[in-house]
Order: sequence, then C-alpha cells, then structure tokens
Amino acid sequence: MTDLSRRQLLQAGAGMALAAYGLSGCTVERQVDRSAEGRIIKPEVDGDLLLYNWAQYMDPALKKEFGEKYGVEVNEVNFDNLEAMVIKLRSGASYDLIWPSTEYVYRLNQEGLLARFDRSLLKNNDNISPFYDSPWWDPNNELGIPYTYYTTGIAWRTDEVSGMEGSWNDLLNPDAAGRMFILDDFQEAIGEANLINGFDLNTPNPDELETSKETLLQQKENARGFSTNSVQNLVTGSAVMHQAWNGDIVNVRNQVDEPELYQYETCKEGVPVGTDLMSIPITARSPGTAMLFMDWIIDPENSARNVRWNGYPQPVEGAKQQFAELVKEAPSIDVDLEALADSALEYRLDDAEARQLWTETFTEVKAG
Amino acid sequence: MTAGGFWNRFLIPGAAWLLLLFLVPLVFVLALSFGYVDDLGRAVYATDFDNYADAFDPTYFPVLLRSVGFALATTVLCLLIGYPVAYYIARFGGRYRNVLIVLLVLPFFVNYLVRTYAWVALLADEGLVNNAIVDLGIVNEPIQMINTPWAVIGGLTYGYLVFMILPVYGSLERLDKSVIEAGKDLYGTRLQTFLHVTLPQTKQGILAGSVLVFLPAVGDFVAAQLLGGPDTYMVGNLIQDQFFAANNWPFGAALTVVMMLFLSIWMIAYLRSAARDVRGAAI
Repeated sequence: MTDLSRRQLLQAGAGMALAAYGLSGCTVERQVDRSAEGRIIKPEVDGDLLLYNWAQYMDPALKKEFGEKYGVEVNEVNFDNLEAMVIKLRSGASYDLIWPSTEYVYRLNQEGLLARFDRSLLKNNDNISPFYDSPWWDPNNELGIPYTYYTTGIAWRTDEVSGMEGSWNDLLNPDAAGRMFILDDFQEAIGEANLINGFDLNTPNPDELETSKETLLQQKENARGFSTNSVQNLVTGSAVMHQAWNGDIVNVRNQVDEPELYQYETCKEGVPVGTDLMSIPITARSPGTAMLFMDWIIDPENSARNVRWNGYPQPVEGAKQQFAELVKEAPSIDVDLEALADSALEYRLDDAEARQLWTETFTEVKAG
Repeated sequence: MTAGGFWNRFLIPGAAWLLLLFLVPLVFVLALSFGYVDDLGRAVYATDFDNYADAFDPTYFPVLLRSVGFALATTVLCLLIGYPVAYYIARFGGRYRNVLIVLLVLPFFVNYLVRTYAWVALLADEGLVNNAIVDLGIVNEPIQMINTPWAVIGGLTYGYLVFMILPVYGSLERLDKSVIEAGKDLYGTRLQTFLHVTLPQTKQGILAGSVLVFLPAVGDFVAAQLLGGPDTYMVGNLIQDQFFAANNWPFGAALTVVMMLFLSIWMIAYLRSAARDVRGAAI
C-alpha cells in the first residue's frame, strides 16, 4: 500500500502549492486547443499518452505493459488538488486522460472542457457496475469511466466502543467521547447530519441546514476534531471512532497489529458514495490511445492488480472480486453498490448558491 | 556613469523578482477580492464589496481572536525558550558558536509540514511519548496531547522558534561585553545588570524576533489542521478552506487582504519603533 493518506497529506500541502499555480490562473482563459472536440473517438492508437492523475494512484506496471503492448510512450504528471487540475485545463494545457471526481466531471463538462466518447466501443464496457448507468453527472454515459469509488460510513474499534447500531447517531456513542473524529469535509459532515434529520442528502434548504448545523454542533461535543486523516488517527490510537471512507480502513487494517479490532459500518439513514473517474479532456492529443488505456484499466485482470496495488475498490468486474478478497476478514468494508439500491446516495452540488450555504454552515460549525 | 548609478543596477534583479512574484500576484488577489463565483464555480472579477462585508461577519470573530491569541502565546513561548538559548550561545558558545547556530537551523531545512506530521506520530495517544510514559509507569492511561489548543501552540512554537533565536542572537552578539562589566562594576547584581543593561540593549532583537514569529503564526494553518481539535480553527484554515473546499476564491482573497492589512498595522508599529531606536542611538 503506497497510498496511505494521499488525500490528507495533499490537502494539507495544497495551500503551500497554491503560490506555485498563481492566483492569476483562475480566471485567465486562453484559447484552448480543441483537438478532441466534435469527432468520434475510436479506440485505436493515435499517439503517445500523457496522463494527469493523483500521485501514487495507479500501479505503474500497468502503464509500462500498456506502452509495450501498443508501442506508445505512457507519461504521467500529477496534481495535488482538483482545483489545480481545472486551472491547467482552462489554460489550455494538453493531457490525454484525467482523473476527476463526479462533481468535477460535471463542472468541467459545463465549461466544455471534456471530450465525449462512446463507452460501448470499449471491449470491457460490460464490466462497469450498472450503478454507473446514466448518473446525474453524465446522463448519456459519454464523459467518464469510473476508476474507484468510496462509501462513507463509520469506523470504530471493537475493544473500545460497544453498542454500535448501524446509524449515523453512533457518532454520539459515549464510549467514543473525546476520541471521535468527523471528516473535515463540508459535504460529508453536513451530509450525515442531513441524513440523521431525514432531509435530502443534498438539501439546499436554509432551515434544514440550520437544523443539521445544530446536529453537528451536538456531535462536536463528542468529537476530538475534524480530520480527513482517518488512517493516522486510528492507527495512532487518537481515534476510537471515525467517520471514514471504506478504502481508508483497508489501509488502517494493514498497518495495525490487531486488524480484527477495526470495523466499519455503513448507516441505515443512507450511504454516500463518491467516485473518481477517468475522462478525456478536449485538449487531448491522443484521445484514441486514451480510450484504449481506459479499456486496459477496466480489464478484469488489470483492475484486480490495480486494486491490490492501491487498496481502493473499483466498480468493475475483477476489481470487485479482488477487493472482496482483500477485505474478506471484514466484509463490512466491501460495500456492494448494487445491493445498496436506494440507500446509496451521491453528493451533488451544482448550484453556486447552495454550495456557499453549505460551506458557510460548516464554517460556522468549525468556528463556533 | 556615476558610481551610484553602477551599483544601483544590482537592484534590478531583486526589484524584478519582487515586482513579478510578489506585487503582481498581490494585485490579482486584491482584484479577485471584489469578485464573485459564477454558477460553474469560476471566480469572476467584479467590483462587489460583498466579500468584505462577509469577512466582518460576527461568525468569524472567534476565529480571528483565537488566531491572535495562539500567535501571542506562541510569541511569548518562543521568547521564553529562545532568549536563553540565544544568550547562552552568544555569551558562552565560544568557538562553537557557529556550529551551535548551524545545529539549531538544520532541522528547519526540513519542510514544516513534514516536521508537524512527525509531532502527530510522537504525541498521539498510542504514539512514542505516551507509550513510553505508560510503560515506565509514570501514568496509567495515555494523556491526550494532540488535538488540543496546547498542541497547536506547541506546534507553532516549534515551527517558528528559530525566527526568534536568530535576531536575538544577532543583537546579543553585537552587545559590547564591557557594558555588562560596567553594570557589574556599578554594584549591579546579575539580575539587575541583565534587566537594566542587557535586556534594553537587545530590545530590537526581541522586537524583530517577535514580529517574525507573530506574523506567520497568525496566518498559519498547518499546526491547527494537523495538531488541532474541534476548537482550534484559525484564520489560515478559514482561508485555505475557501480555496480548496468551499471553492470561493474571491472570499478567500478578501479574507487574505483583510488579514494582510491587519498584520501590516503590527509591522508598521514595529518599523516605527525600530526607526525611533536607531535615531535615539544616533543621538
């Protein structure tokens, strides 16, 4: 496992990196090279690849073997936050494949920065989980292929905490008083409070958000902090309970002496599901090769290898079975998207006003 | 060409550097702070004052107060720890002076973020320190050290200590030893000599060190993010969240401008005090 706390470390580092990108980039729009726009992308070799991804997010052997098989060079550059990626794309930088989250796919597409492609041209198209058929951010299945997904639930230590009920209200469990962490993520924090209160996960209603704020303030009394660093907090014993993404608990269990003590539950009020995807920007110079590469990554055998390497579940056949194998000692970590049916929920913030209301609400919780 | 004209040319690289990498970005921050976010989440330049109105929302007062409080505590701690260290090295370091200073500065070449992470591993409930004191029987249960305000102040103190030691050391090193001897000759006790001779003479070093510690500590976000608890949210965290979580760059820019103005007040006060002392010394 090389990806122990990618999000957390990078989030902290992101502020420092900000200067390097320059604030000026955020609204300066240059003429974009729209090479992949408006043509049907065939999955065939049309040049070398330049991937733009999180660091340490893909088994490097897969790149190497792809390059050997198709006789192309596969190069990779990394971003350490999604805003930085957007800025690069807006400024016209050319990449063949990028790894945005669902919300960023939606945003990039609204800005006309993503190429459309026909998913059915991929040999492994049928491997993709039906959960990803016409999602809100891609109703026509033409903007992205799911790469990894993560459910949000509660991780806890069975030797310290008892009486867990499979509910978000478990965050108030007195056994975890002062040793419980809420994710330092405005969507995850407000989201679970919304679910407790029976509101829509993505409610933009100010009164409902006010109620959820009170719920969070009550949970804060029981908390030791807000953090996305669940792996470190649990491994170092500072946390006995943590709102957490399931993939991170795999990494926790790999790092501790008694993995059986670390359990994970999803909650009956609702299970938020997040997804990172592979998409082709319109600036891609080799969109055809990029199609081949996506197909290569969701190949059952390759995706299984990738899961073994990075520890994150992938919603494709092969990877699913491999992830189940990885967590067979703690099957609750393995969340079957299809089985979740109605309780699986996606965060959706496509309205600037609602987003501001949400972030202000979370700031009030943290500042108070 | 005059000699002055020749030497002035050496200012060009530095001036260009400041202009391009400091002033120009600063102008962008200022321009952005009057902007807004469109429906696609893009920052748009405008001439709104809304962000400034929001910046003075009472919600944020506790955050600002907390940041100033933490930074003041950090400055005092840095002074209490740093002054004796600088004093010892300057007066008794002898030929090892420079070696000692290098040893002090060396850890600060490691990235601040990484060093702060190290503290998390050290001070966690089942970290090295707690395991050691539990094993030694000093305490029965681990003590919660991180995720507290104290941990944040400790992290800030550790992070910025060297900025206090160096200027204080500089002023102590320049101090004429015969002045101290004169103080003792005039029947001053050690304490009296220190309070009436050494301390006033090193006032500028202390002030410079305090400013160098206080200003970055107020805006720091790393210590609170990694070592903080539920009640340690600082201005730096607020600003960082605007850029990377809330996606509200204009508001983040406005907060930055407000904070820079606030910090400038302290900076100007310091510069005036320094200038006054220089004039005083000249007379």
